[in-house]
Amino acid sequence: MAFATLEQSAGTMKRGSMLGGLRRTLDALYRWSGYLAAASMVAILVITMVQIATRYSAINVRGLSDYAGYFMAASAFLAFPLALNRGAHVRIELVLGIIGRFRYAGELVAFAASTLVAAWFAFYSCKMVYVSWQYGDLSTGLDATPLWIPQCAMAFGAVLFAVAILDQFLQLIFSGSHSIVQSNGIE
Amino acid sequence: MESITILFVLLGLMFILLGSGVWIGLALMAVGGFAIEFFAGRPAGDAIATTIWSSSSSWMLTALPMFIWMGDILLCSKLSEDLFRGLAPMMGRIPGGLLHTNVMGCTIFGSVSGSSAATLSTVAKMTVPELKKRNYPEPLIIGSLAGPATLGLMIPPSIIMVVYGVMTNESIAAINVAGVIPGLVLALLFSGYIVFKTKTMKGYAPTAEPRSTLVEKLWASRRLIPVFVLLFLVIGSMFAGYATATESAAVGVAGSFFLAWMQGTLNWKSFSESLMSATMASAMIALILAAASGLSLAMGFLGLPEALAAWVGSLNLSAFWLIMCLMVMYIVLGCFLDGISCVALTIAIIEPMVRQAGIDMIWFGIFVVLVVEMAQITPPVGFNLFVLQQMTGHDMFKIARWSFPQFIIMIGMVFVLIAFPALATWLPEQMVPVRV
Repeated sequence: MAFATLEQSAGTMKRGSMLGGLRRTLDALYRWSGYLAAASMVAILVITMVQIATRYSAINVRGLSDYAGYFMAASAFLAFPLALNRGAHVRIELVLGIIGRFRYAGELVAFAASTLVAAWFAFYSCKMVYVSWQYGDLSTGLDATPLWIPQCAMAFGAVLFAVAILDQFLQLIFSGSHSIVQSNGIE
Repeated sequence: MESITILFVLLGLMFILLGSGVWIGLALMAVGGFAIEFFAGRPAGDAIATTIWSSSSSWMLTALPMFIWMGDILLCSKLSEDLFRGLAPMMGRIPGGLLHTNVMGCTIFGSVSGSSAATLSTVAKMTVPELKKRNYPEPLIIGSLAGPATLGLMIPPSIIMVVYGVMTNESIAAINVAGVIPGLVLALLFSGYIVFKTKTMKGYAPTAEPRSTLVEKLWASRRLIPVFVLLFLVIGSMFAGYATATESAAVGVAGSFFLAWMQGTLNWKSFSESLMSATMASAMIALILAAASGLSLAMGFLGLPEALAAWVGSLNLSAFWLIMCLMVMYIVLGCFLDGISCVALTIAIIEPMVRQAGIDMIWFGIFVVLVVEMAQITPPVGFNLFVLQQMTGHDMFKIARWSFPQFIIMIGMVFVLIAFPALATWLPEQMVPVRV
C-alpha cells in the first residue's frame, strides 16, 4: 500500500516542473561530463602527437607525459556517469537472472550497495582534492602542477558517478525499473 | 588473524558483492576498502583515493584509450566489407573453403580492434550470411567464429595486454609484441582444425567458389593493403623502439583517421561516434583498473600475496603444476567474469607467487591472455557467446557446444606454450629499447 502511494506520487512528481527540471539538469550534466571526457581523449592524442614530434626535434616541452596522465584520469572519471547509464560498466547479472521473482529485491540490494560504495569513494576523492589544495601539493614530475587542479576532474566525476547511481536507484524504487541500457560488454 | 582466514573472508565478501550484481569495479573497491579499514587497521578512504588517483593518472595507461579508439575508428569504416571480398577468393579453394575467412578475418580484425566481442560482431555480420548462403554447416560457421574471435585479445595491439602491463609494471610494448607469434600459431591451429574437420565430415558439401587466377586474387585483396601497412607501422614502431606503446597507439589513431578519410567514411558523425564509444569503453576498463589498484594496495598492506607465495613455495609445486592450477582457476573464474575483470582481480594476488616460481612475466602474460580467451567462450558468462546468441538467435549453450573444439584447441595451445616458451619470449627479446 505504502509502495503504491510512493509510485503514484513519483508519477505525479514526474510531471511536476521541479522534478522535470532536475531530470533535465542531471541528464545534461551526465552528457556534458561525457563530452568533456571525450575532449580529454582528444587531448591525450594531441599531447602524444606533440611528444612524438618533440622527441625527433630539438624542442623540449616539460612534463608532457604528466599532462597526458591528467587527461587520462579526466577522460576516465568524467565518463563514468554516462558510461553507467549507457550500460558500459560491467556487473554480473547471473544470480539476478536466476532468482526470478526476487529479482527486484536483489536489484535494490545491488543498487543500494553500489550507491554506498560510490558515495564513499566520492567523499574521499573530494577530501583528497581539499588536502592537496590545503598543503599546496605539487606534482613530482617535471610539470610541477598544483595537484588539486587535475584532481578536481576525478572528484567531480566520482561525485557525479555516485549521483548517477543514486539516480538509477531512485528510479528503481519509484518507477520499478532503472534506465540503464542493456549491453553485452565491449571487451 | 591468520592470513588464510582473512583471505577467505575477503573472497567471501567479494563473491557476495559480485554475485548480487554490484558493478565489478565498485565491488573490488569495496573489498579493498574493507580490507584496509578492518584487517590492516588503517583509515582506508584517503589511502584508496590517493592510490586510485596515482594509478588513474599514470601516463602508461594512456595507451589504453588510444588503442580502443584506433579500433573503433576502423570498425566504423568500410573495412569489414573489404575484408570478406578480399579474403574470399584466396580461401575459396583450400579445404574448408570460406570457413577460413572467419579465422583470417578474425586474425586481422583482432589485430585492428584489440577486443574480442568487437572483432566477433564485425566479422560475423559480414561472413555469416555469405557462408549460410553457400550451405556451410552452421556448427562450423559458429565454431570457427567464436574461437578465433578471441584472437583479438592475443594479437597486438591488445587492450587486455595493456591492462596486464599496467598491473604488473611490465613493458606494454613488450607484451604486445610477444603476442604476435602465439596469436599466429593459434590461428594456424584453428585453421588446421577446419581442414581436418571438413575433410572427415560426412555430408559436407558447400557451394564451391568460382576459380580465379592469382592476379584476380591479389587484385581482390588490394583494399586490405592499407590496413596491413597501418598494423605494420603500429606494431613495428613498438618493436623497433621508435615509439612507446602510447605513441604507437596515437600513430594508429592518426593512421586510422587517414584510412577512413581515404575511404570517404570520415565525417563528423563517424568521428564523434568512434570517439564516444571509445570513451565509454575506456571508462569501463578504467573503473575496474582503478578499483584493482585499491585492491592491490590492500593486499600489499596485509601481505597476503607474499603469504600465499610462501605457502605455494612450501608445497614445492613445480612451475608446470602451478600453471596447471592457475589454468583451472582462470577457466572457472572465466565462466563468471569477463577477461579484464579476471586479470584485475587475480594479478595483484598471484604476481609474487608467479615471480617466485621463476616464471617469466612476459610469458605469463601470454598465458593469462590465452586462458582469458577461453573465458570468452565458456558458459554461462562468455561475451562471445552473448554476441553470437544475439546475432544468430541460437541458444547460448548450443553455441558453446559448437565452439567446444576451439576451446580444446586453446587448451592445447597452453601446452604448446609450455613446451616452447620461446614462442612468447623470443620476439620481445629482439626488441630495440625506446630512446627517450
